[in-house]
This record gives sequence, structure tokens and C-alpha cells, in this order.
Amino acid sequence: MRRKRGSKGILARRGRWGWAFVLPTLVLLGLFSVYPVVNAFYLSFFQKHLLSNAPPKFIGFGNYTYLFRSPTFWNSLTATAIFAGGAFAMLVGMSLLLAVLISSRQRFQRFLQLAFFSPAVVSTVVAAAIWLLIFDPRGIANQLVNALAGTPGVDHRWLVEPGRLQLATMLVYVWKYVGYFTIIFIAGIGTIPRSLYEAARVDGANAWQVFSRITFPLLRPTTLLVSVVAMIQCLRTFSTQYLFTQAGSPRSPIDVITLNVYYTAVRTFQIGRASALSIILFAIMLFLSWLQFRVARSEEVSYL
Amino acid sequence: MMGRRGPARGRSRVATVAVWLVLGVVLAYILGPLVFMVTASFMPAIEITRIPYRWIPQSFYWQNFWRAIRGNDGRFYFVRNMINSVVVATVITLSTVILSTMAGYGLAKFEFRGRRAVMLLIVATMMIPFQVIMIPLYLIATRMGMQDSYAGLIVPLLVNAFGVFLMRQYLLTFPNEILDAARIDGASELQILRRIVFPSSWPAMATLAILTFRSQWDNLIWPLLIAQSREMQTIPQYITLFTEEKYTDEGAMMAAAVLASLPIVILFFGLSRYFVGGARLFSAHKG
Repeated sequence: MRRKRGSKGILARRGRWGWAFVLPTLVLLGLFSVYPVVNAFYLSFFQKHLLSNAPPKFIGFGNYTYLFRSPTFWNSLTATAIFAGGAFAMLVGMSLLLAVLISSRQRFQRFLQLAFFSPAVVSTVVAAAIWLLIFDPRGIANQLVNALAGTPGVDHRWLVEPGRLQLATMLVYVWKYVGYFTIIFIAGIGTIPRSLYEAARVDGANAWQVFSRITFPLLRPTTLLVSVVAMIQCLRTFSTQYLFTQAGSPRSPIDVITLNVYYTAVRTFQIGRASALSIILFAIMLFLSWLQFRVARSEEVSYL
Repeated sequence: MMGRRGPARGRSRVATVAVWLVLGVVLAYILGPLVFMVTASFMPAIEITRIPYRWIPQSFYWQNFWRAIRGNDGRFYFVRNMINSVVVATVITLSTVILSTMAGYGLAKFEFRGRRAVMLLIVATMMIPFQVIMIPLYLIATRMGMQDSYAGLIVPLLVNAFGVFLMRQYLLTFPNEILDAARIDGASELQILRRIVFPSSWPAMATLAILTFRSQWDNLIWPLLIAQSREMQTIPQYITLFTEEKYTDEGAMMAAAVLASLPIVILFFGLSRYFVGGARLFSAHKG
């Protein structure tokens, strides 16, 4: 009994060290992550001007009803859906394809991985700067398209035409992140037992059968992970759109929610409205993550 | 393995060609813009917008780099902004790695009241995107008088939940026997942290360091809010100045892009396995 109490004393005292190690992080996260989220939620019910000293005025759901009636908000939602949907599909599809192709190679695997990963190293701002010149009226994008389509000298107005502008931002984004997800997929493929592939080859399965019956089903956990991360990543995009608008592109086709939050806060100084916008973005992210987990789970059940 | 004959072999050769064709096209899409950045940085503007683009510079036009550093106002903000970026990214990286390892160790190896609640909080915090909290964060930072200062650029980002989570997962597998043996030998908890936990967590710490440094080097949105004076801006902001409508100098813009990428590219070539390892870690701890 006494010994037990004694050892409990030691553990309790040791436990205090656990607290001590956690505490600095906890304080910082509390102050600079948790409190701001609560604060964003709180502010979204108030009217507050960034530059005025007047205390925030409670307006209930005023900011939300304003947003739901504002065409700019719906445009923003559409722009986000188009960008995130397009970039997401391209990212996941392309990185899966690349991972399967790279894994099937005996040679150059490491070179290919590093090459595809290399754009992830340069910053998003640099990426956007490079692509701005590529999409320039005299740039390489026009030259390539004109060479392929046999239409010399045509300007496809990549940075002006709404649809092309949206495509352009997606291409920048996919360019930067595709290698990252490719590597996650390659790691996932690496965990699939080799013996399954050998058995399939003995049975005379073709490449498509191997992919659709072995690789893809067994890759489901990785696919789920990649899609959750990629979706959130795409919804968080900011720098590309910001740079494109700074360079003179029209804002509305690429006015994703993050950009709208920034401009609402910095240009119109409406802090409450910007907070409501960011809370809506957060809700969308949480909903989509939840949805993906659910879809993944129900699929798993149906296969068993 | 390649002992197949006749049509099968022919088909596999076709398949190989097809695979390389796809890989080649994507490779051009991925590497082309990087090659463009480097080659264009050595060209005068007239050559950059030449049709068709010549992928090999005719001469080395070093003036781009001079103008990139000098800036359009001739005040050499490049130097100051570069220093800012290095300082900010380095300090945040160091503190993230140290604090995350400490907290991860505390969560992985100690029993204490509220540990589960703390862990839950960490995981929940991981889901918070920066874009959601940036406005309140800006208000807090300005209320604390941190705008246009290193404190403002650094303090709110000193640690992140992802790092804590990463280090905890890594340290869960660390053998308790070693820790207990050190305690029996009379080592204090701080000594154990410094002499045993830190040195043996090196691979995970290096990965976390690379991830953090890279994402801070890339950070545009927070400096954009908190650092308005040219003196306190960082390199991403410096580059955006070159892309603005009123001041377009293609050559200098690409030269600035090259210069801004140099530190991270050097890190990448030295430590590529930690870069790539960062992506792999995701799939390692998925469950």
C-alpha cells in the first residue's frame, strides 16, 4: 500500500514534467490558433470597421444575410468551386497516374520523383511569377497552343478571358503540387505486397486489370488521405490568385473565398463581414472532409 | 523477366514507349517553367518575349540580377527583405522544432491529467486553416503592437499543431527502457530531454524543420497583412512588386525569382530525402 502510494507519487511528479513540456506550446496555440478561431466566429456576428475605434456593433446574422444576398459572395463561391474542383481533379488524377507509371519503371525512379517534386520547392509566388510570363500574350503558352492548333499569331488571352484565366490558375497550382501527391501515392503503392502483382502476372492479368483490381482498391487509404489533403489545400489557395490580380487580371473569375476575405478586410475594412466569410470557408472545409471520410467508409462496407 | 517472346514482347515495348511518352509530356510541363525561369533570368526583356522563345540564352545578361537587387527605386530593399525572410523562417523553424519535440515528448511519454484533452485540442487545431484565423490574428497582433516588426512576423507562428502531432507520433515508438534507465542513473528530466530525446529524434526533427522552413519561405499572406513598411517585408512580397502592372520588368522579375529560390534550392539538393520524406510521412502515419 505504501509502496503503491510512493510510486504514484513519482508518476504524479513525473506527470508534472509532462505538463511543463506541453505548456509553452499550449499557451502559444491557445493564443494564436484557438482564440482567433473563437474570435473569428464571434466577430462574424458584429459590424466592425478596421480603422475605427468604435466598439463592434452586434448585428446577429447580419453579415451572413448580407453575404447570402450579395452577388459577389455567390461569385466567390462559384470561383472557389471551379478552382478547387478543377485543380483537385487534376491533382488527384495526375498524381495517381504518375505514381503508377513511375512505380512501374525499373530505372530513373528516383530522378522522376525528384523532378516532379521540384516545383514544390520554389515558392508559390515564384511559381505564379513564372507562369505570368508564360501566359503573357507573347508567351510560351500561346506559342505552344498556336503551334499545336496551327493558328500562328493568335492571342488566347490567358490572363483576361474568364474561363482561360481560371484554367491558368489551376495549371499553376497543379504544377506546383502534383509531385508532392505523387510521392504520397508512390509510398502507398510501396506498401502493397509484391506477391499480389506476381500472382496477377502468373494469372495473365493485363495492366488495366492489375490497376483496377489490385492497385486502386488497396490504395484506398492513401487515396482518401490525398483527397482530403488536396481538397483542403485547393480551398486554401491564395497567392496565385493574388499575384494574378496584382498583375492586372480581372478579379471576379478567380475571386476565391480566401482572396475575397483578404480584399474585404484590407480594401473595404469590413472585419465582421470578412470573418463571416472565413467562417463559411471553414465550414465548407469541415463538411467536405467529413463527406470524404463518409464516402470512403461506406465504400469500404459495400466492398466487404 | 524479359524472356517473353513474339507479340507479348512487342506489346510491352509499345507499352514502354507509351509510358515514357506520357511521362515525357508531364515532365516537360513540370520542368519547362523551371528552365524558362533560369534561362529568362539571363535574357534582356526583348529576348524573353521573342517568338518563338529561344531556350538557350544568346548571351549572359547579368543586368537583370543587378536590377532585381537594386529594385525599381534603387533602394536595395532586396537585401533587407532577404535578411528578413532568412531571419523569420529560421527563427520559426528553430522554435517549431524545439517546442514541438518538447510537447510531443510530453504527450507521448508522460501520464498527466488532461493529456487526452490536450491531444484532442492539438488534433482539432491541426484542422484550422490559417486563412480562417488571419483577420483575428491581425487584430491581436496589432493590439499587442506587433505590426511592422519581427515580433509580428514571428511570434504568432512560433509553433503549429501539426509539428506537435508529428513529433508525438514519432516519439510514441521510442523505447521506455532507455528513459527509465537514464532516470535510474540519476538523470533529471531536462537532461533526458536534452541528451537523449533531442539527439535520437533527429530524423523527424530534420523533416519537420524542412517542412517548416519551406512553408515559411513561401508565406505571403501573413507578411502581407502584418508588414506594410518596405523595411519589414519579406521576399515573397518583394517579388509581387515586380509582377504589378505598373512595373513590369520581365528579366529582373525572373532574376529575383531565381535569387529568391536559391536558398531553398540549395537546401533541397543537400537534404532532398527530408523534403521527400515529409510527403511520405503523411502516408506513414495514416493508420
